[in-house]
Amino acid sequence: MFEFFNSPEVINIIVIIGSMLLFFVGLFGLLTQKHIIKIFMSIAIMETAVYLFFIGSLFKLDAIAPIMKVADDTSKFNDPIPHAMILTAIVIAMAVFALGVSFAIEYYKLSGKTNIDTMNEMRH
Amino acid sequence: MSSVLFVALPLLFGFSTPILGYFGKNAVAYVSTLMQLFLLYLGFDLLLNEGFSIELISIAPPLGISFVVTKVSLLFVLLFTSVMTLFSLYYLSYRSEKPYRDESKFFILINMLLAASIGLVLSSDIFNIYVFFEIAGISAYILSAYEKSSSALEAGIKYLITGAVASIFLIFAIVLIYIYIGSLNLGIIAQHFELLPFQIKLLISILLLIGFGFKVEIFPLNFWVSDVYQGSSTLVNALFSAIVVKAYLFVFFHLLYLFLPHGEFSLFLIYLGAFSMLAAEVAGLRQSHLKRLFAYSSLGQVALVFTAFALQNTQAIQAALFIVLAHSVAKMGIFFALALIEKEHESMESETLKSLNSPFLRVILLISMLSLLGIPLFAGFVGKLLVLKSLALEGMLPIIMMIILASLIEAVYYFKLAGYMFTSDKRRDVLKVTWAHKTILAFLSLLLLIIGMAPFLLSEYLFEASKLMLGGVS
Repeated sequence: MFEFFNSPEVINIIVIIGSMLLFFVGLFGLLTQKHIIKIFMSIAIMETAVYLFFIGSLFKLDAIAPIMKVADDTSKFNDPIPHAMILTAIVIAMAVFALGVSFAIEYYKLSGKTNIDTMNEMRH
Repeated sequence: MSSVLFVALPLLFGFSTPILGYFGKNAVAYVSTLMQLFLLYLGFDLLLNEGFSIELISIAPPLGISFVVTKVSLLFVLLFTSVMTLFSLYYLSYRSEKPYRDESKFFILINMLLAASIGLVLSSDIFNIYVFFEIAGISAYILSAYEKSSSALEAGIKYLITGAVASIFLIFAIVLIYIYIGSLNLGIIAQHFELLPFQIKLLISILLLIGFGFKVEIFPLNFWVSDVYQGSSTLVNALFSAIVVKAYLFVFFHLLYLFLPHGEFSLFLIYLGAFSMLAAEVAGLRQSHLKRLFAYSSLGQVALVFTAFALQNTQAIQAALFIVLAHSVAKMGIFFALALIEKEHESMESETLKSLNSPFLRVILLISMLSLLGIPLFAGFVGKLLVLKSLALEGMLPIIMMIILASLIEAVYYFKLAGYMFTSDKRRDVLKVTWAHKTILAFLSLLLLIIGMAPFLLSEYLFEASKLMLGGVS
């Protein structure tokens, strides 16, 4: 019954539409949320959407893992570069968010504020 | 000699800090400065021996990473290294009175910033550009929040949020480029980019413009800049306006010239730049806080550079490079001098200048401001004149009017500051400036005067550099 979900075109379309929906969920959160941690979460959702879009749109159903010992026919391999890129990007993003959350905690300890609208220490 | 050293040595220094820490705090500071001096020597060695090269690291193209040293990228490498060296030398004397908390970490951060900015300029692989983009960003966020006061942390949080959003748009553009072209090497992308369908080209260009727009501080994506400058410590601001934004500007236009060599969006970018300049100067007029005021002045200058680069012809790029040099030197002088004033008066309101009793600092500030304004005989004049000339050759009168209007507004607030400085009451004691600080500040001002009076010393090199940049050597 659900056979047609196995065709590459359908999977690609689902991935593209789904990741774009996720991207706009993140963007909506970024523009509407006021809590600093929630803003970081929205940004993280947007990033995840981009990663899913990239991996999903270059994903081939019948391809195999790109290991030279398993097969010599490189045409059947999945492209390893997107995975390497996204792994790097995930690590960087994690570092940025860890830093951001630590800033937010320090700031909360000093000023007791978590709302981005009330962060106006400097406009006086 | 390998150009990788420019990135590897500062990073290596970061890893060796715990070991150096055993030899005391001074060891970290002096080794960091010595290493930067060595990098400066390497840079001049490359320049004099014409060691321009394309260097492959580890694997063969298209997968390998390559660093490209041309006249234009070497110019930026030399600029960043000399700014950082002067910063370290200045800080060595400053730290005896008011050191940063946890100093060895501070030295790791400034060296990370140096490595990442140089990497951005040299790298010819778009994913590497993303990695260096993030490293430069992370070290800049921490530097901006370094003092851990609530205003510094607020600046850090705002900087981090905008930076994270910018990086999403950049990685989205890179992802689309990889899906449609299948390569990350700038040379290969440049060959295939023109053949893409128009909608995809437009989408990638918009994503790149938004991603870099936050970082090159262009209207309307520059709302965070003034807060970051005001919250960060004064010395660090010198690095932000002399290194960070210049690296991003270079990379953005390097990519633009490679991907769109026929200037498809040139007119839009020129108007965007001129409008940003006008908006920044109008906003600067109302500021009373000195760091915030000079943040807006930085925005104005950067927008002028943006306009000149966007014109996409050799003469305009040469002008842009002149302004980049003049602005870096002048802003360093201003922020270095302001750091001394802040230490003494503990206030950064512009009224503080009324009680400034130091003829030396007054002269330094005045020379730097006159250069930023583009008065003849100072370095800023050459660049501004060349920009206006190339705009006139293109027949863009409205843009010329906007730039002149913006400069007039800029003049109003600079002369207001100059008025404060020279009508000051003399009751305070003379502000003591150490000889090391005096030497560096005098050197910076002298540099502004030399470039202003003898631009021909640089113009030939800059002209060839701009030809290379436009030609898109990747």
